[in-house]
Amino acid sequence: MVNIIETKNLSKTYNGKIKAVDNLNITIQEGEIYGLLGPNGAGKTTTINMLTTRLSPTSGTATVAGLDVIKDSMKVRRILGVVPQDLTADEDLTGRENLELVAKFYDVPREKAKERIDSLLKMVEMTEASTRYVKGYSGGMRKRLELIIGLVNDPKILFLDEPTLGLDVQTRSLMWKYVRQIQQNLNVTIILTSHYLEEIDALAEHVSIVDHGKILITGTPEELKASLKGDVITVSFKEQHEAEAMKNISGVIEATDSGPNTVRIKVENADDSLPGIINFISENKLSTVRLTVTKPTLDEVFLEYTGRDIRSEEPTDARKAMMNMRRVRQ
Amino acid sequence: MSGLLPLTGRELKKWYRNPVFFITGLLQPFFWIALFGSAFDFTKFDPSATQFVLGGAPNYITYIVGGVLTTSALFTGMFAGTNIIFDRRLGPMGRFLSSPIRRSSIVFSKVISTTVRIMPQSVILVVAALLIPDGLKFQHGLSVPSVFVIIAAIILVSIIFSSIFSAIAIRMTNMNSIFGIVNMINLPLLFVSYAMFSPEMMAPWIANIAKYNPVSWSAEAMRMVIINGSPSASQWGQIGVWMGALAILAIGLVGLTGYLAEKEIRD
Repeated sequence: MVNIIETKNLSKTYNGKIKAVDNLNITIQEGEIYGLLGPNGAGKTTTINMLTTRLSPTSGTATVAGLDVIKDSMKVRRILGVVPQDLTADEDLTGRENLELVAKFYDVPREKAKERIDSLLKMVEMTEASTRYVKGYSGGMRKRLELIIGLVNDPKILFLDEPTLGLDVQTRSLMWKYVRQIQQNLNVTIILTSHYLEEIDALAEHVSIVDHGKILITGTPEELKASLKGDVITVSFKEQHEAEAMKNISGVIEATDSGPNTVRIKVENADDSLPGIINFISENKLSTVRLTVTKPTLDEVFLEYTGRDIRSEEPTDARKAMMNMRRVRQ
Repeated sequence: MSGLLPLTGRELKKWYRNPVFFITGLLQPFFWIALFGSAFDFTKFDPSATQFVLGGAPNYITYIVGGVLTTSALFTGMFAGTNIIFDRRLGPMGRFLSSPIRRSSIVFSKVISTTVRIMPQSVILVVAALLIPDGLKFQHGLSVPSVFVIIAAIILVSIIFSSIFSAIAIRMTNMNSIFGIVNMINLPLLFVSYAMFSPEMMAPWIANIAKYNPVSWSAEAMRMVIINGSPSASQWGQIGVWMGALAILAIGLVGLTGYLAEKEIRD
């Protein structure tokens, strides 16, 4: 496997003191889908902006397909496709005109551009809609258009930032299908960020969790889930002392508070541990209100490593996000 | 390739496809000349005013045509700035910035498209001025070099003002701020100039300041060729000074705007 992206001690410091990215070392293999996860302010966007040459690093190096992001920034831009979280298409142009405009930015010869645009439109099933103005598009159509605008220049690497933000479940699974097609048929390496962890789970081959500008862990989604060493059983009681008592049960890897009168118990395997827990509850006549078993998901992994729940996180840049949501939902 | 050509094409497409934008842009100068020009016809009180106030122009409309052409370039120039902010707020700016194009081409595409948009406006304005009663009169004809002076002056002022408004908009995200700035600077630019009024009509302090206003340079240069048809050698000397000053200012502002765009433009 060839590493298509490599960073060495990549760092970005804002205003001389805020370390947005701190000695980051990542390697991304050619042809894979790589997920980048982290809470807001973790340094994801800064990292992506440095890799896409929008920002220059304070120190460290990054190479993209063997090209240095500082020295060869224009060459790097030519082999990248970027699909930002915000909508970027011009509403007053048709879908096809938007694609043609971007093709011209990359000096794609006219004939080749037409061929490529036709096949991309066909892939996302938008050939019919391509002659209509973008302002008449639905949210899903806009996101599909954004996706293929990022592919007009035949990139080696595609950066996908929140590709399904604000979309309904059906449109989201359709987008997933396109993303897989892009990886397989067009042979593109994809770097994906998302707040929907099931999206990362479904698509990514490798995932890194980033916080405070550093990588906390990297692995396949399965490895990350396995690294939690076990399932989580959450039990709520009527009284706090009951929750305290529950913490002393045997065979528990870790027991912590999780809200009022609630205890979060980590066990190797919930299926084996539950009978013991139920026995403990009935022997001690504890008044259980609620009992939940969670097999590890990436949400759990995220909570474990960052201490935060990703579902309480808002996507970055409130102003743009609001505007996006409004436009996507039209 | 810098992206300048496709971006300028995009601006012009957006212009001619938007009928309201297109038609109001053409009607506005017509109102200026027909309404403003006719409302201020003070020569009827004293016919000799044409000599001592209007520098030999047969009527007020003939006197202000150069000024109105300049003013409509000024008003159209501000769209260059607002369009930059629209691109930023509506998203396309993000796409431009991640593409392998020069950042200055984003801004220069606004400057060029604004200049192109002013051309049909100017033609309509001149035709309208000729058609209205007691309107524009070329008493001494109009030589070919004089026509070139008019075209060059219009191009230079539209480059000057669209560069200024673009430079202001480079870091701006709020539409209200630019409208505020535009309204604030348009009024003094217009009234502290010889666009609509001659120095003889003004309080001396304003007349003195107005000398240094590029709006005055452009209006006066066009006025001189319109009134005289084929200017004399000494008049050409004066026209050369005004046009040279406009050209130097335009080059300087284009340089500054390009530099700011390359360095400072953000999403």
